[in-house]
Amino acid sequence: MSFFLGEGSVRVELDESLYPKDAIYGAAYVFIDRCYVHLDRVSDRRVQVTLKAKKAGADTQALAGEFQNELLGQAWRRQIVEENRQLIESITTRALGGAAGPPGLDELLTMDIGEETAFEDPLGIAMSWEEKYKKKGGAKAQPQGEAAETDAAEGEKAT
Amino acid sequence: MSGLFTEIGAEARAPKGLVPFRFREVGGDILLTNFLGDWVFLTKAEFGELARGQLAQGSSLYEKLSSRSFVRETLDEAKAAERIAYKKRFLSYGPNLHIAVVTLRCNETCVYCHASRANMDAVHTDMTPEIGEKVVDLMLQSTSPAVTLEFQGGEPLVNFPVMKHIIEYALARNRAYGKELEFTMVSNLAMMDEEKLAFLVDRKVQICTSIDGPEHIHTKQRILAGGNSHREAIKWIERINKAYIDLGLDPTLYHVEALLTTTREALKYPKEIVDTYVGLGCRAIFLRPVDPFGFAGKTAQIVEYDRAAFLDFYRAAVEHILDLNRRGEQVLERYAAIFLTKILGDEEPNFLDIRSPSGSGIGAIAYNYDGKIFSSDEGRMMYESGDGFFQIGDVFTSTYRSLMKHETVRALVMASIRETQPDCVNCTYTPYCGIQPEHNYRTQGTIFGRMRESTLCAVHKGIQDYLFDKLRTNDPKTVEILRRWTTVRARSHFIHASTAS
Repeated sequence: MSFFLGEGSVRVELDESLYPKDAIYGAAYVFIDRCYVHLDRVSDRRVQVTLKAKKAGADTQALAGEFQNELLGQAWRRQIVEENRQLIESITTRALGGAAGPPGLDELLTMDIGEETAFEDPLGIAMSWEEKYKKKGGAKAQPQGEAAETDAAEGEKAT
Repeated sequence: MSGLFTEIGAEARAPKGLVPFRFREVGGDILLTNFLGDWVFLTKAEFGELARGQLAQGSSLYEKLSSRSFVRETLDEAKAAERIAYKKRFLSYGPNLHIAVVTLRCNETCVYCHASRANMDAVHTDMTPEIGEKVVDLMLQSTSPAVTLEFQGGEPLVNFPVMKHIIEYALARNRAYGKELEFTMVSNLAMMDEEKLAFLVDRKVQICTSIDGPEHIHTKQRILAGGNSHREAIKWIERINKAYIDLGLDPTLYHVEALLTTTREALKYPKEIVDTYVGLGCRAIFLRPVDPFGFAGKTAQIVEYDRAAFLDFYRAAVEHILDLNRRGEQVLERYAAIFLTKILGDEEPNFLDIRSPSGSGIGAIAYNYDGKIFSSDEGRMMYESGDGFFQIGDVFTSTYRSLMKHETVRALVMASIRETQPDCVNCTYTPYCGIQPEHNYRTQGTIFGRMRESTLCAVHKGIQDYLFDKLRTNDPKTVEILRRWTTVRARSHFIHASTAS
């Protein structure tokens, strides 16, 4: 990595084998409220990022340092995500699936039913009664939002 | 910590036969936590043994670690899987908290206003009855069997007729859904009157207010034109608490909840603030630092402070609360109660800002006065400050499932899984902590955040350091009090029947 400081701007040149492209995009995006951001390819597998401060008198040295730290954070996060992909997918699917629930009638009516989706059964209509309503084992789920002394402040903000 | 490894030096070897764990020095000992949320304190000598690979089967160290699920060969895997599923069961529920901002108008001017209040003549910021009905229709679609509709503002009492209409409409509509339905209102109480109170008590609306501490702080920070904001709040807190007693409800469980926003000025008065709350009959005090949202972002030079100063304040206040408990007063600090519930057992209090993934979208939804829908109240506050990043729909065109499947909600879920974040992935407190992506976005420009620089992370870490040090010291009376803070007492009076008709 190399960087060049200009008046109110900084140019950083990066090796793509060290910093994946989506990490570069991610880091650059963090700066768009403060800077005009431009990405360019300067040679094979080398990307140049130019940050031009929107306000006069910006500390370009600090800007370059912050960008490099953000880039490291983005690259590392990407690596952690790769290593934990199964866990993330499992939690995300469960979280979004649990919150969304099965599709309602309106959604089914607007659904584009083609050859690929014709045999999907999101409401479990084709399931037997026993299969659909069999008792689930394990600990009883406690409905959230139940009025309780320890959760009364949940989500509340100062007026 | 680095000194420890210098001592162990070249002898250090990766410990064998242990489940993955994280560690941190707390009060001179080493705290180990594992993926199940179990924890154990080791002395530095014991940790040295562990690091040198000297974990002999049958030794006291082995037994200590084995009893807390740190030894792989004695771990009951089926039970461990059950425990994890139980702790994460909130993922199956969907949003239970639905925040309706019925107006932005407010009769008080607060130095840290998070809501970006509007003046009393800004009637265009009132929610209409039609939008209110659509809010209810969407709320009742939630997969959660229990839903809470929280009225906020501005000052919700300013638009009381619409609030009344929404409550009546929700009660009527819920006959077809049979959900456990609750209402809460966050109000400064200055516009309360007997007629409004009678309605709120009759419809079982829980009432929550804000108290900034003793009168001289409160009135300085919350200006009520032509009146005294503190006296109005106190007068109505006492009146409402009396109404609960008249209904035959237990006053230790049923009383007005009050919330503190800790400003720079408040930091000087930890004991006085606690005493103010106890004097009002509050059994829970939430020592929250000021949020960076709304006007607080603009008045930061007046209200903000270094988080180390906040933690000094927090420790002083909680020490005072513990002293009061030792003298027989039943009062708890809510941050501590949330963390302790997770630390001392397998329960998950489902506090939306301190869970993983966070409650953004999948745990809470905020509906603005104009019908715009946000993944959280903080997201709605960001919109009022000119940034619509967290808008996920509107009541006119969105379906419930389109909100839950919104790409912003997906991103917020992924951004708030602790195990995927730098710093969090290695943090000893990962099993108990949470990420608030809106706070990251507001303070750092990215929903993923950099925890090392996060003021919220500093607060969470500091509080957990304090609590674990208390547990390390293991004073029986203190531990008993801390355990008692994790007891949940259901306020069943406020729940509207779940029977569908």
